[in-house]
Amino acid sequence: MKRVVVDPVNRIEGHLRLEVVVDEATGKVQDALSSGTAWRGIELILKGRDPRDAWVFAQRICGVCTTVHALGCLRAVEDALGIEIPKNANYIRNIIAATQMVHDHIVHFYHLHALDWVSPVAALKADPAATAALQNTVLDKYSMDLKGPVEFDTDAYPKEFPKATTAYYKGIQEKIKKIVDSGQLGIFSAQWWDHPDYNVLPPEVHLMAVSHYLNMLDKQRELVVSHVVFGGKNPHPHYVVGGMPCSISMNDMNAPINAERLAAVDVSINLAITLASSFYVPDVLAIGELYVKQGYVDGGGLAKERVLGFGDYPEDNYSGTSNGDFHKNLLLRSDGVVENFAQGVDKAVFYTFEAKDLTDPDVLTEGIEHSWYGDTANGKDLHPWSGVTKPEFTGPKEGTKTDWKYLDEKGKYSWIKTPKWKGKMAEVGPLSRYIIVYTKVKQGIIKQPTWVEKMMVDQVDAVSKILNLAPEKWLLSTVGRTAVRGLEAQVMAYLAKYYFEKLVNNIKAGDTAVANMEKWEPNTWPKEAKGVGLHEAPRGGLSHWVVIKDGKIENYQAIVPSTWNACPRDSKSGYGPYEASMMDTKVKIADKPLEILKVIHSFDPCLACATHLYDASGRQLAVVHSDPYLNV
Amino acid sequence: MENINSLWDLFQQKNLSRRSFLKTCVTVTGILGLSPMMIPEVVSAAEKRTLVPVIWLHGHECTGCDEAFIRSQTPLASDVLLNMISLEYMDVLAAAAGEPLEHHLQEVMKKYNGKYLLAVEGAVPLGDDGISCMVGGKPFVQNLKEVAKGAAAIIEVGSCAAWGGIQAARPNPTKSVSVSDVISGKTIIKVPGCPPIPEVITGVIMHYTLFGQLPPLDSKGRPKQFFGNRIHDTCYRRPFFDSGMFVEKFDDAGSKAGWCLYKVGCRGPEAYNSCGNMRWWNGLSYPIQSGAPCVACASNNFWDNDSFYERMPNIPVPNVIANADKVGIIAAGALTAGVLAHGAFSAIQHARHHASKPGPENDKE
Repeated sequence: MKRVVVDPVNRIEGHLRLEVVVDEATGKVQDALSSGTAWRGIELILKGRDPRDAWVFAQRICGVCTTVHALGCLRAVEDALGIEIPKNANYIRNIIAATQMVHDHIVHFYHLHALDWVSPVAALKADPAATAALQNTVLDKYSMDLKGPVEFDTDAYPKEFPKATTAYYKGIQEKIKKIVDSGQLGIFSAQWWDHPDYNVLPPEVHLMAVSHYLNMLDKQRELVVSHVVFGGKNPHPHYVVGGMPCSISMNDMNAPINAERLAAVDVSINLAITLASSFYVPDVLAIGELYVKQGYVDGGGLAKERVLGFGDYPEDNYSGTSNGDFHKNLLLRSDGVVENFAQGVDKAVFYTFEAKDLTDPDVLTEGIEHSWYGDTANGKDLHPWSGVTKPEFTGPKEGTKTDWKYLDEKGKYSWIKTPKWKGKMAEVGPLSRYIIVYTKVKQGIIKQPTWVEKMMVDQVDAVSKILNLAPEKWLLSTVGRTAVRGLEAQVMAYLAKYYFEKLVNNIKAGDTAVANMEKWEPNTWPKEAKGVGLHEAPRGGLSHWVVIKDGKIENYQAIVPSTWNACPRDSKSGYGPYEASMMDTKVKIADKPLEILKVIHSFDPCLACATHLYDASGRQLAVVHSDPYLNV
Repeated sequence: MENINSLWDLFQQKNLSRRSFLKTCVTVTGILGLSPMMIPEVVSAAEKRTLVPVIWLHGHECTGCDEAFIRSQTPLASDVLLNMISLEYMDVLAAAAGEPLEHHLQEVMKKYNGKYLLAVEGAVPLGDDGISCMVGGKPFVQNLKEVAKGAAAIIEVGSCAAWGGIQAARPNPTKSVSVSDVISGKTIIKVPGCPPIPEVITGVIMHYTLFGQLPPLDSKGRPKQFFGNRIHDTCYRRPFFDSGMFVEKFDDAGSKAGWCLYKVGCRGPEAYNSCGNMRWWNGLSYPIQSGAPCVACASNNFWDNDSFYERMPNIPVPNVIANADKVGIIAAGALTAGVLAHGAFSAIQHARHHASKPGPENDKE
């Protein structure tokens, strides 16, 4: 039995530590621990601020999933103040969100995840001519002919397309050789390139994928042009409570949005469709199939038991979230919980998650049994609104406060709390969204799928056909979690196009409004108001919660996807998703736990998002008395 | 240092003559807008250029600055990563994790002692012995101090490293500070912004790789070429300020016409950054162009200068619409005395511009 520590975990956002106990004889992971090792206290910093400023602060929770916390926050504040944003603002925000999703997924796969599967060293053994041939095969075999609705196709031909020539791959290979020969490997240094898993793929796949790593590194910036046009910059584009600041006019010179600006966005969305369909989906399926064929279908973990989603992408305006209106016209109805998908879609059990569940103190709660916070509720988990954060750093099991050897899996070991749905833990993310939508459609719970939902189901069926496996056999694995992200990028690229066309048609109809300023002034606000904002962020279901009192923020909470996924265990409800997935993964060489990195990266960890606030002086933070949903 | 990979090496490998190498250097000098006096320096830079080892550490941050870094168009991220620097340690992009990565860090620090650039993203939390940010089982502040010792210079990437950033906003729960608050005796370059403009981050690296030295800095340690101007002075909407034409509320007629955002809170008059002249995505836009007031994200403590939609105090504005020619006459009125002072400041700056010849070394502040 060997205890292995991975800290820092690389190619993620934030600070994450993993400890696994591996039975070296069988490769079985006997125990696994996931610890968020940093917290910044942004929710606390938000207290007392102007709610109209809140999105600027909340946005800085994360710069990788930039935009998502701003959106969650705006939706929460607008829900609290009863502000309905104009149609155009809804379209623009959704274009930003959908392109963010494409961007985030592409950067995740190529730059944060690919090096778990692909090795530049192995690429040196490839035959450039065979690689060019392989590229053609990959495009033929894995470009599933699935498309979203495009009303006005502005893309004359696919501008960015995989380069499948011998000379090109030769050039890339020469460059890699030069880097390796120089000894200055830079970002490619020190990895376990001799790990046997790097032999799963033939050298030509390595060379193709490394070249796409570089292509995407230089192309990804163009995917978020919409953020720069509508929000002025990226990361961290600008919004405004009540809509968007980017006024539209075809009559004025100097308007933030005119026909030329829209063209820039359109070209960028066309690029997103091409990159997702011609690079990402074929690449991830080519790599995935080779792994699945060699029996790598582990790492499913908690997804086999329970997944959760909130749903997103309102087709048109909505008057609020806590009143249930947000959920009435969504294009992506991934709201709900699915249990037992491992037994097949027919046997999976679906539970609804509705607006009333957001406010029910027994539905969403957070526990602190293994988190560095003190118990203030006699072991009872608390609804986020009534959560008390009393720091109680207990140090490691071995080592000192400032020099850890091993963390204490029996005691407290993470700054992340443990969120629960009806007392149970659940996985969130692209995989969860796909499982929920697939189950709802196949079981007839969704009777008339939207085009988004239909495309998701068609993708899953098409991949199942390629792999010749039932969905539950490949989805619930490291490969499945990673592959689905690529499928989702394709849907989201078309979704951006869809909203873009809605925006254009609405402007054409004479509506150029982007902001509703009726309730801008604090004297129009109620003395006290509470709101919740939901978003299906790249890493999963996100909820922001705000209490506004006398024009200022009284309390702010965010339960983010990586809190759901990276949370520590619980004696009543078992292991969190990261931990459960590691326990469901075989490790070949205990000292080189590449499989552990792979399965954790398949979640796309985002740790700055996940951690909660804490008062460094050791004082108990103010208890929330103005709880809107608990009668305290 | 071994592993030389200079422009001259490249010419030799390709059997190109010394003469064509020198010609290229002359062309490069012209492209860069440098005086012919600089040719010898460019030749020497191209001859000696090695891949600068860079170590990039993360404290309390959101990784938005890494994201900005890879958004650079000129130079492109791949060119920076493969041909300009050797990014030896950066946990966001590194292939390796955990112990091998930490071991590699130790080796790089030894091998390139005194020669590597240290880029730091994020603030340094000091509360409770720094346990709110643990990396490899140790407080980030310890790692930072250790790595800083052998650094040739330190770049504070982003407002968190440069000023403490959002986590240092009141009540600063983790007692976070800037890098320069805990490191002394080193050249520290501040590249603030939340995040900085991508090409500003890579511009600093470009300057170092091209010229083998750090860019000229202002009194606060910021590269003058990127932080020498207030956004207010480079903003294309400035004439509307001078003419008293303002957006009064979001999405009004002034907003559609792209008038000045000062009255809805724009911090342009106190923001030193390149958004006005360089803009984002090589000229595509910047917040003001997209209708959003600047929040001065590169300024010290901008987080506590909220509310962001309250207009900045102490800069009275003209309250009548007038064309630019009439501003001088209106400014005579008592109500607009502040504009007069503002105009006078601009005039002084203008005079300074003319007093000294523009060039890379020119100090405009």
